[in-house]
Amino acid sequence: MEAKKRTKEATMNKPKTTTTTTTEAMKTIEAMNKTQTTEAIKTKEPNQELVMAELKGVTKVFKGKKAVDDLNFSIRKGEITAILGPNGAGKSTTIKMLLGLLEPSTGSVRVFNQKPKEKKVLERIGAMLQEVSVIDALTVKEILQLFRSYYPKPLPYEELVTITGFTKEELKKRAEKLSAGQKRRLAFALALAGDPDLLFFDEPTVGMDVTSRSLFWKTIDDLKARGKTIIFTTHYLQEADDVAERIILFHNGAVIEDGTPAEIKSRLTKKAVTFKHFGQKEAVFALKKLPIVSKVIANGDRFIVETSDTDALLRILFERQLPVKEIDIEQGRLEDAFERLTVKEEVI
Amino acid sequence: MNAVWMQCKAEALRILRNPYYVFWSLMMPILFYVLFTRIFNTGIDNAQEWQAHYLMSMTTFSVMGTAIMTLGIRLVEERSQGWATFMRITPLSDGAYFFAKMMGQTVIHTFSIIVIFAAGAIINGVSLSVQAWLFSYLWILAGSFTFLALGTLIGAMKKVDTASGVSNLLYMVLAISGGMWMPLDTMPQFIQNIGVWLPSYNFGNGAWQIIRGANPEWMNLIVLAGYLVVFVVLSKYIRSKQEVAV
Repeated sequence: MEAKKRTKEATMNKPKTTTTTTTEAMKTIEAMNKTQTTEAIKTKEPNQELVMAELKGVTKVFKGKKAVDDLNFSIRKGEITAILGPNGAGKSTTIKMLLGLLEPSTGSVRVFNQKPKEKKVLERIGAMLQEVSVIDALTVKEILQLFRSYYPKPLPYEELVTITGFTKEELKKRAEKLSAGQKRRLAFALALAGDPDLLFFDEPTVGMDVTSRSLFWKTIDDLKARGKTIIFTTHYLQEADDVAERIILFHNGAVIEDGTPAEIKSRLTKKAVTFKHFGQKEAVFALKKLPIVSKVIANGDRFIVETSDTDALLRILFERQLPVKEIDIEQGRLEDAFERLTVKEEVI
Repeated sequence: MNAVWMQCKAEALRILRNPYYVFWSLMMPILFYVLFTRIFNTGIDNAQEWQAHYLMSMTTFSVMGTAIMTLGIRLVEERSQGWATFMRITPLSDGAYFFAKMMGQTVIHTFSIIVIFAAGAIINGVSLSVQAWLFSYLWILAGSFTFLALGTLIGAMKKVDTASGVSNLLYMVLAISGGMWMPLDTMPQFIQNIGVWLPSYNFGNGAWQIIRGANPEWMNLIVLAGYLVVFVVLSKYIRSKQEVAV
């Protein structure tokens, strides 16, 4: 606990990342990614039966500009996947292609091993999109019943109401008279009306207050327990980290990371042990020879030792009885790595 | 099939709950009817024929308005607010959705016709033979498809404001120069010359012939059918252009 708290302080005190380091960071990430994607394809050959959606070599060009570039990934049954990235990274474009609303310029998009536009596919998916208002002049109840009628095996009406938490009064209200939060809830209900196997949420929590946000994610947990597969986009790193089992990190239309939050953290972020040292500098620089240590930096009277395993490094420090003081452990945070990406976005 | 039925019901309900519909398609025509048959024009030679004639004018005026404005503006709203996009990811096909919209409109047109016919019978005791009532009803319903097609053309517009402005203007021009407010032969000659070629005049004239015990003129049918084809082709063409743009 203590270490974690101190890490937070340490990161907070850090100066803003400059453009130069950002570009460098980007290069490293991209280089790392290239090797990793090829590995991922080799090692994570998914069981065909469990693949819910798949993109192969998907590129989408808008007016000569590539919105997404060579996407390759598949979504397995029961996964909660976050498509994370700054605005304009190609997240919504990807979702729209998965839903059949956009055709890829090249490559193939398959959902349940069929074209996304097939009726059989549409009967098994549900989605919450951005910039969709509600249908007007109908009550919430009428809209729910209408949408249920579209699907062969809809969610029972009572269950739909329970999950989305509409009160009797709200059900009688005309949709256009609902508050913004209630409208979002209605959109969520419409996504669930057909009891879909695969759910898409494009920036679902934008405009939600803190309470409805946490309630929303709690409901997502329940849906996962029912065996639903969920794909959502977000530019809130915290959401992706908290909710998703898998994060696909987008930047400038390309996937630059794909893995569990923990995996991505360890790949993207640098962990380090920093301390003051009262002895021969050479003793500290000798740590560089350890396979777990990547870099040793002297910064005034403090040393920063970058490592893949902080626990092991600490053990070594004590075993070697180095005269160290004021040890800090920096468990590099996903936030920092993410910030590097978004900061770059803003600079441009 | 259940989905299409539910959708028809929903579309009809949505129109019925639209205050513009109630005002423009039910209240205005009935108000005009009272004005021009009870308050003005009272010294007319053949009062009974005028009352039946003007009842048909107002009914066609009402249905034309619902078809152009309610459908057109709603289509633009649904597209600009992302609803049309959202419908594409439901299993309800585009065709079924369109069919349901047309059915919903037709149900509402039927309702308007019954209400305005009833108003005529109550206000002026207009009495026609069963065949004439039925025939004029069918004529108006059939003719409404030309204006629904015009509505889909309005529906291809990008902004609700434009669509609402254009459809309002079109509605008024068509109604006045088509002889729906005042008989065409009371109008200046140049309007008469144009008027006979407008869909609104041909729509109204069919019904005016029926209440005089005649059949609609072949020309009326041909002009309405001609406009229908033109509007449908144009609307399809614009839509295909818009889809390519995406």
